[in-house]
Amino acid sequence: MRRNGARTALAFTLTAAALLAAFFAAVNTGGLSTTVPQLLRGLFVAYDETVAIILQLRFPRILVAMLGGGIMALSGVCMQAVMRNPLADPGLIGVTSGAAFAAAMVTALLPALARFTPLFSFAGGMVGFALVYLLAWNKQLSPVRLILTGIAVDAFFTGLYQAFDAFTGSTYTGAASVINANISLKTWDDVSVLLVYAVAALALCWLAAQRCNLLAFSDKTILSLGVNLHRTRLLISLLSVLMASGFAAVIGSVSFLGLIVPHMARLLVGSDHRKLLPYAALLGALVFLLADTLGRAIAYPYEISAAIIMAILGGPMLVILLKRSGTVYGR
Amino acid sequence: MDDRNGLAVTDLCYAYERGKLVLRGVSARFAPGRITALIGANGCGKSTLLNLLAGILKPDSGQVLLDGRELGTMKRPAIARRIAVVHQSNAAPGDLTVEKLVCAGRTPHRGLLRPLDEGDEAAVRQAMADTDTVQFAHRPISALSGGQLQRVWLAMALAQQADILLLDEVTTYLDIHYQLEMLHLIAELNRKKRMTILMVLHDINQAFAYCDEVVILKDGVVMAQGEIGRVVQAPVLSQAFGVASEIITVAGRKHCLFRRQGGDYG
Repeated sequence: MRRNGARTALAFTLTAAALLAAFFAAVNTGGLSTTVPQLLRGLFVAYDETVAIILQLRFPRILVAMLGGGIMALSGVCMQAVMRNPLADPGLIGVTSGAAFAAAMVTALLPALARFTPLFSFAGGMVGFALVYLLAWNKQLSPVRLILTGIAVDAFFTGLYQAFDAFTGSTYTGAASVINANISLKTWDDVSVLLVYAVAALALCWLAAQRCNLLAFSDKTILSLGVNLHRTRLLISLLSVLMASGFAAVIGSVSFLGLIVPHMARLLVGSDHRKLLPYAALLGALVFLLADTLGRAIAYPYEISAAIIMAILGGPMLVILLKRSGTVYGR
Repeated sequence: MDDRNGLAVTDLCYAYERGKLVLRGVSARFAPGRITALIGANGCGKSTLLNLLAGILKPDSGQVLLDGRELGTMKRPAIARRIAVVHQSNAAPGDLTVEKLVCAGRTPHRGLLRPLDEGDEAAVRQAMADTDTVQFAHRPISALSGGQLQRVWLAMALAQQADILLLDEVTTYLDIHYQLEMLHLIAELNRKKRMTILMVLHDINQAFAYCDEVVILKDGVVMAQGEIGRVVQAPVLSQAFGVASEIITVAGRKHCLFRRQGGDYG
């Protein structure tokens, strides 16, 4: 018990330290570089041209990557709790692609409604989620059935927005950046949208943690504890879709982020959602920032999108998880 | 005994699929403060009845009455404060500690946001003491044996501090040592706390040894009910299970010997 607590504290501390280090590494990756003292002076003491450029160009994407990674990890943890299924990644089963499709359509076709993009994106995410849930449901959600249905729904939405992109000759750059999940041109506006999502997500997840824990029991047990099972499931699903569609509206559809991070987090801090949710958020920020920074660094001056890096890492990971599925929830 | 006291069902009907009634008008009373065995052949509707009594399933027609009040009109947490259930098989994350699992039994008392208070902690301690699980408190449940784990699930149900306890074949997957240990524990809870207990059992002799009353189901209706010593006779068992048997009394307690088809008592 106490050893467990120490292990959790260590995981939090090391991950937070790694995130800080990754942040400074990301700041220094690219054409301009700076030192930590110069950066701090430039930020807080006196104007510094290099720091000002970095602040305007590089900071937003770094913060977008961190906030987005955290949100997507939280969304994954919640989705997996609802579906009692370690493979339920909203980025893999059509939720984020549904949301990204809706976001791209609004951005391109109804620019007057651009302010309401998150709303449309949420609706798109819900459509994706409902499709998967209804099509995969056969008295229970078997992990493999879920993932197969999810991939079909995901392929459908991905196909739709890629077709749309091709139709328009990729002229809608705003939409195209969402379609490719490209975060290189993110601005402080995007940061502030995601920040709102992140704060709301953390607060709601804190409220939902105990419910997520109960969802690990079998339905009968949950009901005999006096819990309204259907309402609980619906609320956590909505929360998960809300977070995934927030991510999709700003960043696009990224697979595997909501799969790998919750899985690693569960291995490191266990399945108690009161620890798992905050830790997954921290780890998600680290992983997505590393993916983005890696994509910027390895082929400089070209860039590999963080979504592509996640796909390369995530493919093998999914295979491992498929082999182990069923043991993750202690069944 | 007050007629409105305790748990009763009237004309209960339930179907999982349209047109296929599992329960076809079940009426029964479960005597307060007593241990009642619910027995019957496989598929006769025992578990279905138990789930209806716990409010886990909703009846298609008929009523479940708790102290004369229809269960369907009560809120779920209110039901869970009166009726606790231990199921045959359970699922939980393997790294969950025993103590945390037992704490989940406090859910109907505190909702999902209020932290545990002293009353909750006392109830959890008491439940673990009653089930002899205190020594496992900080162990993950994956480290326990089947018998120990079933005691932990019982502890969770006890932490609900309900006065009615429903047990659905809780000894089925246990070896005989743990079966008797579990039944002994249940009998003690009934004696010390005056809990009303209803358990689905397969072993007639265990029912004789540990239960006061019996309700026998056959094909979705109550075939017989009442005091177990009076009700359970060879013709009744023959009708309920299609087996030949003889009831004997050894040291003042009834036992049941079953006869193999065309063979001797075995």
